[in-house]
Amino acid sequence: MSPFDELNLIQTRRQFFRGAGLSLGGVGLGALMCKEAAATAGSKIMHPALDGLPHFAPKAKAVIYLHMNGGPSQLDTWDYKPGLGEWYDKDIPPSVQGGQRLTGMTSKQARFPVAPSIFRFSQHGQCGRWASELVSHTAAHADDIALIKTVHTNAINHDPACTFVMTGREVPGYASLGSWLGYGLGSESENLPAFVVLTPSWKSVGAAQALFSRMWSSGFLPAQFNGVALRSSGDPVLYLRNPDGVSAANRREMLDSLAEFNAHRFSQLGDPSIQARIAQYEMAFRMQSSVPELVDLSGEDTKTLESYGPEVHKSGSFASSALMARRLVERGVRVVQILHRGWDQHGNLPSEIRLQCQDTDQPIGALLTDLKQRGLLDSTLVVWGGEFGRTVYSQGTLTQTNYGRDHHPRNFCMWMAGAGVKGGISIGETDDFSYNITESPVHLNDLNATILHLCGIDHERLTVKFQGLDARLTGVEKQRVLTEVLA
Amino acid sequence: MRSRTQFFLSVATAILSLLVCGATALAEEVSFNRDVRPTLSENCFACHGFDAKKRKADLRLDTPEGAYTPIKGQSPIKPRDLAASTVWSRIQSSDADEVMPPPESHKKLSQQQKAILRQWIEEGAQYQRHWSFEPISANAAASHVLSVNVKSGIDGFLQERITKSKMVSTAEANRETLIRRVAFTLTGLPPSVQEVDRFLADHSPDAYTAMLDRYLDSQHYGEEMARHWLDVARYADTHGLHLDNERSMWAYRDWVIGAFNRNLPFDQFTIDQIAGDLIPDATPEQVIATGFSRCNVTTSEGGAISEEYRHLYAVDRAATVLQTWMGLTAGCAQCHDHKYDPLSTSEFYSVYSFFFSAADPPMDGNIAATAPYLKVAAREQENRIAALKALESAAEIALRKAAAEATEAHLVHPLVGDPASRKRALRQVLFDDAFGLGIESKTTTRNPSSWATSTEIEMHSGARALRLSCGEFTEDVLQIGVRPVVAPENGMLSVWVRIEPKSVPRGISIVVQGKRAFWGDLPLADGAKRVANGSELDRGPLPPAGKWTQLQILLRDFGVKENSRIDSFAVQQLGGVVYWDECVVSGEIAAQFDPLTNFELWRSTASKKSKADVPPGIEKLIAAGTQEAQSPEKRKELLNFYIEKISESAGGEVIALRRKWENARASRLAAEEAVHGSLVFRDMSQPLETFIAERGQYNKLGARVEPAVPAVFHPLQKADPSARATRLDLARWLVAPRNPMALRVTVNRFWQQVFGVGLVKTSHDFGSQGEPPSHPELLDWLAVWFRESGWDVKALMRLLLSSEAFRRDSAVDPEAIQRDPENRMLARGPRLRLDAEQIRDNALFVSGLLDATFGGRGVMPYQPPNIWEPVGYANSNTRFYLQDHGSALYRRSIYAFLKRTAPPPFMSNFDAPNREQTCARRERTNTPMQALQLMNDVQHFEAARVLAEKVLSQQTLDDSGRALWLFRTVLSRNPDAREVKLLASALGKQRTLFGQRPEEARKVVQVGESLTRSVGPVEETAAWTMLANLVLNLDETVNRN
Repeated sequence: MSPFDELNLIQTRRQFFRGAGLSLGGVGLGALMCKEAAATAGSKIMHPALDGLPHFAPKAKAVIYLHMNGGPSQLDTWDYKPGLGEWYDKDIPPSVQGGQRLTGMTSKQARFPVAPSIFRFSQHGQCGRWASELVSHTAAHADDIALIKTVHTNAINHDPACTFVMTGREVPGYASLGSWLGYGLGSESENLPAFVVLTPSWKSVGAAQALFSRMWSSGFLPAQFNGVALRSSGDPVLYLRNPDGVSAANRREMLDSLAEFNAHRFSQLGDPSIQARIAQYEMAFRMQSSVPELVDLSGEDTKTLESYGPEVHKSGSFASSALMARRLVERGVRVVQILHRGWDQHGNLPSEIRLQCQDTDQPIGALLTDLKQRGLLDSTLVVWGGEFGRTVYSQGTLTQTNYGRDHHPRNFCMWMAGAGVKGGISIGETDDFSYNITESPVHLNDLNATILHLCGIDHERLTVKFQGLDARLTGVEKQRVLTEVLA
Repeated sequence: MRSRTQFFLSVATAILSLLVCGATALAEEVSFNRDVRPTLSENCFACHGFDAKKRKADLRLDTPEGAYTPIKGQSPIKPRDLAASTVWSRIQSSDADEVMPPPESHKKLSQQQKAILRQWIEEGAQYQRHWSFEPISANAAASHVLSVNVKSGIDGFLQERITKSKMVSTAEANRETLIRRVAFTLTGLPPSVQEVDRFLADHSPDAYTAMLDRYLDSQHYGEEMARHWLDVARYADTHGLHLDNERSMWAYRDWVIGAFNRNLPFDQFTIDQIAGDLIPDATPEQVIATGFSRCNVTTSEGGAISEEYRHLYAVDRAATVLQTWMGLTAGCAQCHDHKYDPLSTSEFYSVYSFFFSAADPPMDGNIAATAPYLKVAAREQENRIAALKALESAAEIALRKAAAEATEAHLVHPLVGDPASRKRALRQVLFDDAFGLGIESKTTTRNPSSWATSTEIEMHSGARALRLSCGEFTEDVLQIGVRPVVAPENGMLSVWVRIEPKSVPRGISIVVQGKRAFWGDLPLADGAKRVANGSELDRGPLPPAGKWTQLQILLRDFGVKENSRIDSFAVQQLGGVVYWDECVVSGEIAAQFDPLTNFELWRSTASKKSKADVPPGIEKLIAAGTQEAQSPEKRKELLNFYIEKISESAGGEVIALRRKWENARASRLAAEEAVHGSLVFRDMSQPLETFIAERGQYNKLGARVEPAVPAVFHPLQKADPSARATRLDLARWLVAPRNPMALRVTVNRFWQQVFGVGLVKTSHDFGSQGEPPSHPELLDWLAVWFRESGWDVKALMRLLLSSEAFRRDSAVDPEAIQRDPENRMLARGPRLRLDAEQIRDNALFVSGLLDATFGGRGVMPYQPPNIWEPVGYANSNTRFYLQDHGSALYRRSIYAFLKRTAPPPFMSNFDAPNREQTCARRERTNTPMQALQLMNDVQHFEAARVLAEKVLSQQTLDDSGRALWLFRTVLSRNPDAREVKLLASALGKQRTLFGQRPEEARKVVQVGESLTRSVGPVEETAAWTMLANLVLNLDETVNRN
């Protein structure tokens, strides 16, 4: 926190105490601090929006970002290629492959046989969106979804691609999307962090790719903008629970004394950071009750719970994370990021992707319904996608029932729904092999620029000095906001 | 800390320039570097600066030539003629197509900035080179000091500004505050009560200096100084990318600590790290120091393209050096000419080429010891290894001699029992102090097997035991090679195990020929996702922990047929720590099935898979099979090897001599493997041709470059003018006395360490995008002082800490905060929140839990569950955190294992960087997550509990005496009257609460793994624990006041 914020805080608090006819350092300060008035002061400290932000009226108050880690196959989900059946086990034409670079995993392969998707595709919604059976629950919302078939990225391997999708750079050190949003727009919640991350369990049995904390790290922004992991075992938020044997009453007494000590110290030193610390302890105390309330599902009605599927009661499942995303957004959390692992299907793709979609599709469909029913979808942007797509040719042996696919950064599918997004549309086209973009390429940075735009941010104007540059999420090149996606 | 908002930033700059620089626009003459350059750099240079490719309208405003030369008859800037300067008219324009900066740039000049530009042009538009590129003006600095009549140069410079701005500096802080401030600054630890008493009792005039010197001499000094440097060096214990596996280079970390402790001059400190390997007669320590350039993140991701990563590593290494020593943010020059500083792409790649021919492979292999890896033996280790090698070699010569004298006739099978059955008793050791001959191990960690020695645990047999440790599934798979194992009749596999009581696994198993016998839970890779195949042998519960137990299984239970060969064998476990020792196959074997007594049988069946311990010539002969049988010489050669190393029926002394040799070999291996090593930097023997990577893309090569330095700086002196420039030339160039950059950047970083904010706030960026220094003359004065001292870091620290500024009281009134919120003027003493490591170390120190052991492999203290696990790659060896126990929990934080993709929360929560790239400056945030950690983290709460036990063991003291003792132990001072009351009242309340709930109190006194001391009723300990928890959470406690 800069001294200016702390000054600000003091002034806010002074006004408060003056209004309440009290002075700093008064007895029982701590006890008073836990009331709403303190919450006001606390939220001021947590995350005020940057001056001048949002740049314009935002459509989205919150973002739920569903990251399918490993690179889900566009060919088996959203990019329908009915003509591929005839190409089964024939090599991809060189004119299509075009000498593009391949990963070291398939570059030495003798053949590049085309593997048509074995999954059934059908049309959904008024818009008639083609989608595979794997994503039927999601596709039921086709008319609310803007599908982008032509997203492309720079990196061809997981580590740099994951870093890129979240920070706009392939190398570590830059701020993540959620951190930028929290930094720019501040927090809406008085009891919860602005940016929450969930890393649910997954179903595929192959070796799952790694996540990296840099995907939700604040990078060069102050560390308070790091994503806070909501955890499925142990404390839901790190160090939340009092040690064994310490009751809320013990803690409250300790905090009251602490506030008095610190107020006394403040009266001697005058350092505003002391006041800020008092407020942070009160915020911590509030989190000790607000977080357990957040993760307690007993207030949810049966119908809602059922809609997310049987795993909703399993802590740490994708279903429970999806429901948690809604609860977080309801409570004013600005960015929720769910990072679901296990989508890197170099082999056994059909069985593995089926497991992954069993894990995620129903909960995603339920989440969209749930948000809509509660009127939250209008102000919540939902984004789905991975770090890259997969190749049309099979990695390893191709049979009628089994194949694998290598990384494919040249085009892949992502979708957006909710706040400010035009539903029922599809952006861009790929060739018959889903190997090259034929129409309307969308760079990941364009997509990120659009996400910021929907949140009321001009991506060119949200910058921070780093490495001698005005660093921004969307990189140094010119990017475009996808106006065709905007409702 | 980066300011919270752009708005605040500009306010801060404005206030600072008013207060610090005194630059109200029109009062005094405008200084280009101080007043004008920041505005031009921020608003104009992107299109009208150094980067030729991006330059618009051929106009260049970063040089006087560019600004004065008329374009189409019009002067962009005409000195002293505002009306004739197009720059001015464009700035003033209200036409959106005309006005500069253009609206689409989102830049806008303030009235203040315009006024300054106007005044600058009117005063003659004088340019200066960017301030940090200017040589240090030693004379000016020195004469300036003489004119200021105060005792220290530092305070002279500071006082001038303080006086000018009519601020009042505070008085010296009291002694308790001073010693705590000094102790934290120099050692990262608080002073002990004894140290405080000693300082308070010393009434001599040099008491303060003497106290300073005691801390400068402390071994903890190096640890605190190194901590800051390791942020810059981006040191960590994992590779950082993809699998993020463990990397072994803690010897570099320890070298840094040692270098500060022995006060290695900073220029030598630099040379050793950049080019220690190239110094003639370099010591091993100097080579270890080159680890600096191996600290960057690396990958071994399947499919990653080597050329891309070779490029990325060189970029990181060059950019880190340029930033660390030259204060240049050079990373952007990898794609295009620097927009703000005179660094072209080609110049960047010239520096890059010093690092491009690195000998380390682009793919780190996911192993801990990615080459080049230097093992460094201590002198006594070296001597011991030499002695053991001599013994081994003597034993081998004796064995070879005896074997050569033996003939085939000696290979008579010893008879057991009935002569007709021709059987012998077999006892074949798979491992004991070492693996048996020809056995290769492959571990889940991808690193060599780990061995424990008798310093760790009591051995079952010999000097070493295999150690397996993991938070989840792990295994050591042994491939059997040149000495085959054939299942004997009634064959039995036996192995001794000892389960670590503090780290009990969920299950252990032994695998022979793919079939498993297990104890406890069945160890399965990747949790429940890999299913059991149903053929596993459930051998019941785990053996008891803490003692050696022999496990025995009949080979037939593994489905191994008698007289069939066993090629592989594995030990596995699920979590925990287990020692495995003396693994033996035994039984009786008939001659016709016994390759160890039957040469031809051995020859036709010896495994061709494992090549371990087979000399190359012999390997060829084995591989050739029986075709070579015709050649008597070859057969004889192979037979000799067989008699020497394999045969169990060789006559004479062969068997006895072989046992002796095997023992000698095991001892030598044990001694060698006990030596640790570290990743070091070296060049390839032939340098690679280096090219500019166009737009930073590794596969778009531009012009060829040679190692060189940017032209704007002093020239590089090559040791051999006819040869290619070397890293050693580069290192010497960095610390050349005439290089103002390294001196300024370095003293500024130490200043930041001491005062919280550097004289140049952007301590990583001394270019035109960085902030100019608040006290430029002081910075230069210090730079000269440092150089003249011989780059003496301890002397510099002594100088900084001796200043009045450092010793001032940090109390502040609201007006002073308004005027100088960041304390850049230093009219008051520096008050800073402690860093992450200091906060944890403080709790350990005051509670007496701290284990001050120096150095070694990173330790794994308490960590909440699921920090590593949710992110780690399935096969990563840092996926599962296995917490240490005992004293390792209480080591200093600098020794805590740092996994880059999931750093310890106690570090990142308090703003420690994740060490993925160089970091010259940490933030200081203030968050509720920090409050939760300090209140509830077992590390902190245990410290409170142990501190409470210490308080209660002060038996002669009453409540108030104990409260005072507690308070003073933590804060080095006595509580005042109000604090005494607050302590008493807080204690009273906690007593009441626990008095009602003794069962809860019982839980409180059990928190943490250190033994609970019985010091009275549990309610009492619990109440005092809460009081200690309170004191450890005080704002004063977590601050350097």
